[in-house]
Amino acid sequence: MEQPPTTQSETPPTTTTPPLTTTSSTTQPDQPAQSQPQTSSPTASSSQPLPPSINPNPKHPNLPTSQSLQPQPLNPLSRTQFNRPYPPFPHFSPMTSHSTTSSSSMTSIPPAQRGGMALGVPAHPSPQPPTSFSSLTPPSFGSQFGGLGRPGNVSVPESAPSTSTPQVRQSISGMQGVGMMGSLGSSSSLRASGIAPSHPQRPLQSPLRPQANANNQSATTQNFQDHSLLRLPPAGSPGSPAPTTQQTTQSHNQPWLSSGTQGKPPLPPQSFRPQMNPQTLQQRSHIPSQQQTAMSASTQQPQTSSSLQSQSSSLSQQSPEQHYSLPPSRVPQNLTHQQQMARNRGLGNQRPFTPVIGQSSQVSSQPMVNKPPSAVEPTEPCNRIISKRSIHEIVSQIDPAERLDPEVEDILVDIADDFVESVTTFACSLAKHRKSNMLESKDILLHLERNWNMSLPGFSGDEIKCYKKPFGNDVHRERLAAIKKSIAAAETPNAKSLGGQAGGGAKGHPAKTTGLVIGSPNSKGRETT
Amino acid sequence: MNSNPAGAPSKARVGSSQPSETSFKRKRGVFQKDLQHMMYGFGDDPNPLPETVALVEDIVVEYVTDMVHKAQDIASKRGKLLTEDFLFLIRKDLPKLNRCTELLSMNEELKQARKAFDVDEEKLASGE
Repeated sequence: MEQPPTTQSETPPTTTTPPLTTTSSTTQPDQPAQSQPQTSSPTASSSQPLPPSINPNPKHPNLPTSQSLQPQPLNPLSRTQFNRPYPPFPHFSPMTSHSTTSSSSMTSIPPAQRGGMALGVPAHPSPQPPTSFSSLTPPSFGSQFGGLGRPGNVSVPESAPSTSTPQVRQSISGMQGVGMMGSLGSSSSLRASGIAPSHPQRPLQSPLRPQANANNQSATTQNFQDHSLLRLPPAGSPGSPAPTTQQTTQSHNQPWLSSGTQGKPPLPPQSFRPQMNPQTLQQRSHIPSQQQTAMSASTQQPQTSSSLQSQSSSLSQQSPEQHYSLPPSRVPQNLTHQQQMARNRGLGNQRPFTPVIGQSSQVSSQPMVNKPPSAVEPTEPCNRIISKRSIHEIVSQIDPAERLDPEVEDILVDIADDFVESVTTFACSLAKHRKSNMLESKDILLHLERNWNMSLPGFSGDEIKCYKKPFGNDVHRERLAAIKKSIAAAETPNAKSLGGQAGGGAKGHPAKTTGLVIGSPNSKGRETT
Repeated sequence: MNSNPAGAPSKARVGSSQPSETSFKRKRGVFQKDLQHMMYGFGDDPNPLPETVALVEDIVVEYVTDMVHKAQDIASKRGKLLTEDFLFLIRKDLPKLNRCTELLSMNEELKQARKAFDVDEEKLASGE
């Protein structure tokens, strides 16, 4: 998919995608800024600008896999989305290079798209035929783009072969020379796409979303993480990390890019978060970007520290809905479990795909609101707390060689979802019982401790649980005392008689037991005597 | 929630009117120094993160609290809390149980040794 060597658009950012360079070859290196969609355009015109050969594997071995999964749904979308010329992103070089990039050439790309998505979208060799640049870029880029394309470009048509190309081009162009894998556009689009699966409802990003999701997922899986392609400038999220870089690149490409970049809040450069051009990010929306940064920050945190804690900390600050925008800082133990879960969800989605997804989700949520990023499932429209990828990771922690059936994974995802929901619901009723409007960690802790027998150290605060002496009724105590007395008395030779006396009265039952007890010592006593 | 008397910073009793509902305010960092060394011994960094130490301390305190509560539940029938109650609680965990019995027997030996030592000293003193 990579861009035709000619177009520099694809020139994969030298840094980003080494494989791209190989594939997209020529153009890519010089296209760090990707502002040179034009080069790509000629290639793109060839309609499948991305020489599939190159891209498929060298670049993103992962892409094809991931993208194939997701891009498909996206492809059709992406294609349509790609109205704008696809800027020759370094990553995209394989894809973008072909037509979109060159044609769209970053310059022309309407800023709406995302400012020069220099999406270096890793030409993912996967299913998308070079034709649709969209497929290429979208997957890698697509995931990134997915978010990017939102404005319509993203169409990260992961595999939108053929048809996608024109669209891709457009989308790409929209992305505009995002020097870096349409960091801007891609990131936003990606995010959108990433989130798309989770939030099908987002109208804004719907077009992008499916793509973004596909892209994200594919991208995340494939490229972002591996290839520099994914490096797309901080995907979607307000290209914080790479804003500077992107800006420069973008600015090269297009003047409007520069403007965009600045607007975006810094997006924590997650390892592979495609760095969306700041411009595109801006367009996307500041909020999402913030969220992304928060997310990225948060995602980073979980990775560094306990995911839950980090998440919770960030979450605690915001309602679960807003986990996107949560500041990376951890808030110690004030997080409600719910928040943690929300965070988890958000992060969970991200984790498997790491930055890409997180970003995409953020992107999608931008205008939308912070929909908790449900598990990223490229094709599944419903929201899930956790993604299958997370299930895989968890299982690998238990046994690296273990494999689960797909149905089992589905069930586990459902179980996780139900668990979170039930715990949150009950905790909310506890909070209400407490006459409070805010759900706090103690509500969740109490529920888990009492009903699930789960104690979570590190969240309970400063109180020590005091001991409750076992409460006994007065009558019960009297009876117990009587039994003891009768037992003591039974040891004397008169135990039998005492036992008999004790039998009558309230101590009927105890007396029987004592009688039994007495029986043996009596017999023993008799034997001795 | 608890009013801390000036002299008892670590604990506070809500009031005698609430017999088993007093909650104690926990003092943080009770095991901090020792835990750091122990964590280092188990493979952590020589200077572990304070959050980590705090978390481990939380875990330890929670474990001890839970264990004591259970032991008290068992011992309340007898009336007095004994060492055997704790041993009963960890009966399923063999490594812990063996370690506990070993430490208890060591303790006994040391007591005997000290006692013998003191007696010797007395003898020497009287002999002089």
